[in-house]
Amino acid sequence: MGQENLSFVLEKTGVVKFEDRPVPKLASDYDVLVNVKFTGICGSDVHYWQHGAIGSFIVKAPMVLGHESSGIITAVGDKVSTVKVGDRVAMEPGIPCRRCIRCKDGKYNLCVDMRFAATPPIDGTLAKYYTLPEDFCYKLPESVSLEEGALMEPLAVGVHITRQANIQPGQSVVVFGSGPVGLLCCAVAKAYGANKIVAVDINKERLDFAKSYAATDIVVSQRESAADSAARIIKDCDLGHGADVAIDASGAEPCIQAGIHVLRTGGTYVQAGMGKSDITFPIGAMGAKELNVKGSFRYSSGDYRTSVDLVTSGRVSVKELISNKVKFLDAETAFNDVKAAKGIKVLIEGVEDSA
Amino acid sequence: MIMKTDEQDSNPSFVLRAIKDVAFEDRAVPKLRDEHDVRIHIAQTGICGSDVHYWQRGRIGDFILNSPIVLGHESSGTVVEVGSAVKNVKVGQRVAVEPGVPCRFCGYCRSGQYNLCNDTIFAATPPWDGTLSKYYIVASDYTYPIPDHMNMEEGALVEPVAVAVQITKVADLRANQTVVVFGCGPIGVLCQAVAKAYGASRVIGVDAVQSRLDFASSFGADDVFLPPKPESGVDPIEHAERVAALLKEKFNLGEGPDVVLECTGAEPCIQTGVFVTKKGGTYVQAGMGKEVVAFPITTACIRALNIKGSIRYTTGCYPAAVDLVASGKIDVKRLITNRFKFEEAEQAFELVKAGKQDVFKVVIEGVQ
Repeated sequence: MGQENLSFVLEKTGVVKFEDRPVPKLASDYDVLVNVKFTGICGSDVHYWQHGAIGSFIVKAPMVLGHESSGIITAVGDKVSTVKVGDRVAMEPGIPCRRCIRCKDGKYNLCVDMRFAATPPIDGTLAKYYTLPEDFCYKLPESVSLEEGALMEPLAVGVHITRQANIQPGQSVVVFGSGPVGLLCCAVAKAYGANKIVAVDINKERLDFAKSYAATDIVVSQRESAADSAARIIKDCDLGHGADVAIDASGAEPCIQAGIHVLRTGGTYVQAGMGKSDITFPIGAMGAKELNVKGSFRYSSGDYRTSVDLVTSGRVSVKELISNKVKFLDAETAFNDVKAAKGIKVLIEGVEDSA
Repeated sequence: MIMKTDEQDSNPSFVLRAIKDVAFEDRAVPKLRDEHDVRIHIAQTGICGSDVHYWQRGRIGDFILNSPIVLGHESSGTVVEVGSAVKNVKVGQRVAVEPGVPCRFCGYCRSGQYNLCNDTIFAATPPWDGTLSKYYIVASDYTYPIPDHMNMEEGALVEPVAVAVQITKVADLRANQTVVVFGCGPIGVLCQAVAKAYGASRVIGVDAVQSRLDFASSFGADDVFLPPKPESGVDPIEHAERVAALLKEKFNLGEGPDVVLECTGAEPCIQTGVFVTKKGGTYVQAGMGKEVVAFPITTACIRALNIKGSIRYTTGCYPAAVDLVASGKIDVKRLITNRFKFEEAEQAFELVKAGKQDVFKVVIEGVQ
């Protein structure tokens, strides 16, 4: 093999392979070339692998997977001024157009022409090299490892959700789902001063971890109506008239319904998890309680910077979420582990330099 | 498609070479810088106080004239050339031009505050050339098509309307609020008109010149006010408090208006503005005068005022401004008092500088 830019490619639904591709060229004077060192795997990566599509994004041609990465800068364009060769960076994998109304209004995550790594047809970061504009690379201080750098992506998701939820110090938050995103939402809510952080899940092991990590209370989901579930959560966790904020990081219909019922009047609900596209929704409760109901999608201005700051200052710790590291050539094993819900976050190491 | 070849065409420009030194120069027809650019044949350009200020003083704050610049930034024109990636306009389309294009990369740009970008290329702010040339190059997403029934003069007036839209955005103006606007110059009266269009229940214009108040009455203001002059020996702050009290009483403003828009930059108006705003209300500084003033800060504190600055415009202001003019909600044609041909540009500037009461908005036609 030429080993110039070994890449982990989704050839078609269910089929992955390694392929050597050319080293990407810098598209503009403001771009940098990053030698990818660590990549975490997300449910979306697994979903494209297993189903070949998410909503209207359909894998029509082979595509490199991965988008939660960190790396070391190996080349910079002529006008790059904020980073240099050798810098260790967290990589923000979605590049907006910068020209549309959403971009100029500060919500670039909603850009109509977003080019997002490993969302078809854009190639992902599970390759030796990846190019990015300089302002989508965030320098990691010496005290933050490249492994932690790969966790900046899901942490930025958690930061964005928390900002959508507008969590204020002293508030109570219920987070449905204790996967990586749910756990990170708990951690960020805690950093933002939430008083009570309740983690809800069906998996007791994940909940025990959540309690040791950032949650103040944990509740195991049971087979019961959503209203009963909410009432039980409120009672068991002393939530008074209901929680100030509910975040769904599960995508599961019963959790979404319980999330609406667990809120006090005037509370805020944020939908982060993705499951069924259409569900039965307690709209009566939403209206009568005058809830703020919002979606949250990826991250936008300031979220990555905040993530790096939170980890640097120690207000959020991400090391505990890393269950396992595998070599690049064992990438498929990692995907299988995530599919089997083993561990919390599995990292794939970057391509090793050939001897 | 390009209208003329470079060999036949030229680019006459009105250049500020040094303080108080303007001249016409024939410059090269500018080229598109990348696939997102368009070239505009400028049709009309309005003159702003800032243009006159650079001409006379050579600086505004940190922006210092160190080399010649083409003047002008309030323009409309026709698209004559488009880059390969341009989708929002076509050759032949008539547009209003937004004269400040930010870098798109910095934190301000990415967070929706592109008016604060440090690397903005702003027409006629040193060192950048302005729009008083035959042709002007700009990124296509900073051009906004105007409907057929809007003429090019109205297209040029979109810029100050956009400034007024931004001021009301910063003020977070809500329907049914009461608004006092200090200053009945172009920006003041446009703020009054925008506030009315956006549902303010009562808009009061304040100015020291009766003829300006008369115009404001006929434009967007519900009421107008001529503040009494201070008696000799009276402390200016005391006088400002008295004027504020008079304003509230005369127009039944209760504890004060919800919103105050300060569009003069004059120290007595700033002081009166702070005193007149109701508790918890919003005061927006838009006018620029003395850089440092005596400011009633304890009043601002005790009354929990929201005090904000407003500069230029952000996303959505230009489209909103075009819509306000196109829909007839704001009749900007009425602001134009004097018209000049391109070759008469220096006279146009002299007229604005003279500051006569009957001169309001002056426009300069583009090179034919």
